[in-house]
Amino acid sequence: MTRNTEGVLVAVASALAAFGVALVEFAGGESIGAQVGLTFLVFVIAFGGIHVSLRAWAPDATPLLLPPVALLAAIGFLEVYRLSPYRAGLQRWWLLLAAAVTCAVLAFLSRAGLSLLRRYRNTMLLVAVGLLLLPNLPSSGPLPIRGLTQGGSRLWVVFDLGFTELHFQPAEIAKVLFVAFLAAYLADRQAALTGAHRKLGPIRIPEPRQLVPLIAVWAGSLLILVYQRDLGASLLLFLTFAALLYAATGAAGYLVAGGLLAAGGGLAAWRLFDHVQRRVQAWLDPFADYADTGYQVAQGLFALGTGSLSGSGPGLGRPDLIPNAETDFIFAAVGEELGLAGSIAVLCCFALFLAAGFGIALRSRDRFRTLLAAGLTFVIGLQTFLIIGGVLRVLPLTGITLPFMSYGGSALIGNFLLLGLLARASQEERS
Amino acid sequence: MPDIILALLRLIFLGLIYLFVWQVARGIATHLGIHAERRRRRGTKVVIVRSDTQAGLDFTVTDATVIGRSPEADIVIDDPYASEFHLRLVATENGLTLHDLGSTNGTYLNGRRVTAPAELRRGDAVQVGKTVMEIR
Repeated sequence: MTRNTEGVLVAVASALAAFGVALVEFAGGESIGAQVGLTFLVFVIAFGGIHVSLRAWAPDATPLLLPPVALLAAIGFLEVYRLSPYRAGLQRWWLLLAAAVTCAVLAFLSRAGLSLLRRYRNTMLLVAVGLLLLPNLPSSGPLPIRGLTQGGSRLWVVFDLGFTELHFQPAEIAKVLFVAFLAAYLADRQAALTGAHRKLGPIRIPEPRQLVPLIAVWAGSLLILVYQRDLGASLLLFLTFAALLYAATGAAGYLVAGGLLAAGGGLAAWRLFDHVQRRVQAWLDPFADYADTGYQVAQGLFALGTGSLSGSGPGLGRPDLIPNAETDFIFAAVGEELGLAGSIAVLCCFALFLAAGFGIALRSRDRFRTLLAAGLTFVIGLQTFLIIGGVLRVLPLTGITLPFMSYGGSALIGNFLLLGLLARASQEERS
Repeated sequence: MPDIILALLRLIFLGLIYLFVWQVARGIATHLGIHAERRRRRGTKVVIVRSDTQAGLDFTVTDATVIGRSPEADIVIDDPYASEFHLRLVATENGLTLHDLGSTNGTYLNGRRVTAPAELRRGDAVQVGKTVMEIR
């Protein structure tokens, strides 16, 4: 596939977004007009802009990353528009801003290169931790920036700009910085990590001393769970770290140790916190407390069941009955209105994105780039797995957004930042 | 009536999504070298389509294969106009490459004499003396 094909596919994805919006309006009996044109325009500017900056600043980067992202964004936008035209209007602005972030990353790194990130790894860690701590600011006070608790989790930061308030979820940016830090840290510590191992049967067990960072991050993610009550971010942080340790060393012992620690932490959290207990209860039997804790999961299941094979059609289902359908449960909304066919297409897109991302990691000759590409791709894959697993009742619900699809500005910006870094890694690997 | 149109448009929408996914999937398969790897492992089949005694025989090229009249060659062809070691076929990522090994009477690719290593495509005819082989 060439850069030209990428351009064509991006244009097709933009047309599909407009087509989807037109279908929603047609189904609602409204005249097809401004919204369709506006959607097409925004998608063409956003993804066309990324396409052009790839041509300008990363001409050798693989053309396989952008098309799946564009299609995911198109399908996601269609459902967000269908659920809330007001939020879709905001989402269009966020999409433009996020695309601008990708372009800026590509332009900025086209001179300095990714090695810049490696040099400033400790700064990135500080910024990431700072961002993670931001929501713990007092909820009221003289500062123009406040923390906010929503849905039981303390994840939000509110910027008071005087005339309006801007809500932001800093963890979405922090996760990208954290992966970049980890990749740099592990690339620098390579020798120390692979050196000593003990053998226990067929499994190589890392030296106890080598497990110190693993346990430190585990403790950190438990703190997030306790103080911010965010199961999703906590799991994401810890599992990403375990996966990167495995990618850096090839020692399956880290996966085993990581899995055991995660299970132990999860079990302890389940015993100690009632919000985790409620989640597990809603997972095991959503219909036991249908009207209250199990309501969201149960509605999601109804939506998927109603959708059947080809779905009710955009605008013709009732995904608005699912709480948080446009953020956490967007996959259920897709399942209802585009059916099994649509949801499998979404899964295919994610699979293709992951294949392209891991392809970059496998082909990179530089350790840092390999780990960075693997880590960034893993974050997207894990997030997709956790939230779709939660919607499908394979896992307890963790309450994170579906990358590139859910409504939400911080998530879009974080994930498009990640896209820019991946494209840059691909450029350096192939040029 | 609008219902039918709407149902049709819905299906077209889903169809377009799958067409899109298919296009990207093909690109990724090439990117990860799945095609090339499979072709390399399976090898390329070559069939002798014209020969006095060997017509209809076929062989598979998986790495480097020398063809000639000598019993030492990987593939022995029964043709008085062929040299002892006439040509070599090499399996690459993109298929086969043909090297003439300085044969007396030359190798012809689709009727044209080969002077430099040539990439072979499916359906190409390679002629050695009176023997013609086709790439499958």
